[in-house]
Amino acid sequence: MLEKKLVIKSFHVNQVQTGAKTSLASGVLTVNVASLELAPFAAFIESAEVNVINPYQHDGYVNTIVDIIPIATKALGTLGTGITHTLTGVYVLLTASDTDGGQMTAFGASNGILKEKLTFGQAGSPREEDVIIHVDVTLKSEASYLRQAATAMHQACDTLIQDIRDMLKTLPGHQADERYDFVEKEQTAGMKIKVAIVKQVAGQGAMYDNLLFPDEPSGVAGGMSIIDMNNMPVMLTPNEYRDGALRALT
Amino acid sequence: MGIGPSTKETTLHHFRDPLLDVVSKDEDIDLRGVIIVGTPQDNKMKHLVGNRVATWLDAMGCDGAIISADGWGNSDVDYANTMKEIGDRGMSVVGLKFIGKQAAFVVQNKYTNLVVDYNKSAKGVETEVVCENNVTEMDARKALAFLKLKIRRDKP
Repeated sequence: MLEKKLVIKSFHVNQVQTGAKTSLASGVLTVNVASLELAPFAAFIESAEVNVINPYQHDGYVNTIVDIIPIATKALGTLGTGITHTLTGVYVLLTASDTDGGQMTAFGASNGILKEKLTFGQAGSPREEDVIIHVDVTLKSEASYLRQAATAMHQACDTLIQDIRDMLKTLPGHQADERYDFVEKEQTAGMKIKVAIVKQVAGQGAMYDNLLFPDEPSGVAGGMSIIDMNNMPVMLTPNEYRDGALRALT
Repeated sequence: MGIGPSTKETTLHHFRDPLLDVVSKDEDIDLRGVIIVGTPQDNKMKHLVGNRVATWLDAMGCDGAIISADGWGNSDVDYANTMKEIGDRGMSVVGLKFIGKQAAFVVQNKYTNLVVDYNKSAKGVETEVVCENNVTEMDARKALAFLKLKIRRDKP
């Protein structure tokens, strides 16, 4: 019988630097920026820059915040089962504008000084003491409001994260800083209240989109758009949801 | 970014969602699953997706559900309809939504009164500050407490 257990092992990062080969040693994450692939998205993306924002250094200007993404990967099994490795202390911030200086937004923009445009320390945001890997994409203005362009910036960013995931997959599990076991128990006695969570998410078009079932936790590659599924409901186990089965393209 | 920046839920939010955390850890609750449903443009589809959510919950034998939304405005139609579809089948339903002073329900029904407002801004508006108006652990606890009370009241 299928074991309904998910193990999440976290590896803590204190410092991020760029270098020729992606690695993690003694809390120092080295990121190979050259792994960011832009060529497949050349129809939509003009250029992209990657830089590291160190803890408490949040006085700089950023373009509209497109997403904040955890770095996590399947070390064993598929989404919702097996073992996931994730990094703590570092998160990816994706921002975007276009070649005319337009902000990537359909309803309210969050471009400005980072500390004024982001509430730190929420479930969906880094803490002030975390390191941020900032990916800033410049879209071609003629394409910038197309749905494919909105997806392309996430896809490009995902190539950089995949390079980190490929390294993270291979780290020995016993070296993890923390381990969490999530077991979905079969409920027998009828005393408990049976409840489900319903998450209503955007599915109307460019920048109102979400992906389900990506190949990697919180990833893009392999994901299916809720728009392409006619916005019909999809059932996730609690473990699939906590393992990053839903990717925001909002 | 399509949804208002302050109510948008980032991918990181979904990865460590306080709503899942609170509901899955509660000893009184048997959490059966997390249904993800979209928000179609077309009115017929808006009603169909809500109808399907409720049909599914009913088939699962759920006593109740908590519905949360990542935006507001036009998508309130879907939200209120899904609440009605769930409630009309005899299951208890409560919600989480950004309301503040700016986003009162576009449409209402007899089930939309038990919705926790997760506005955090002093003025009750879309502030364009990312993650400001997001569901927190306290919001999730409130919603779950509402649901437990509602289930107790609804049960004969």
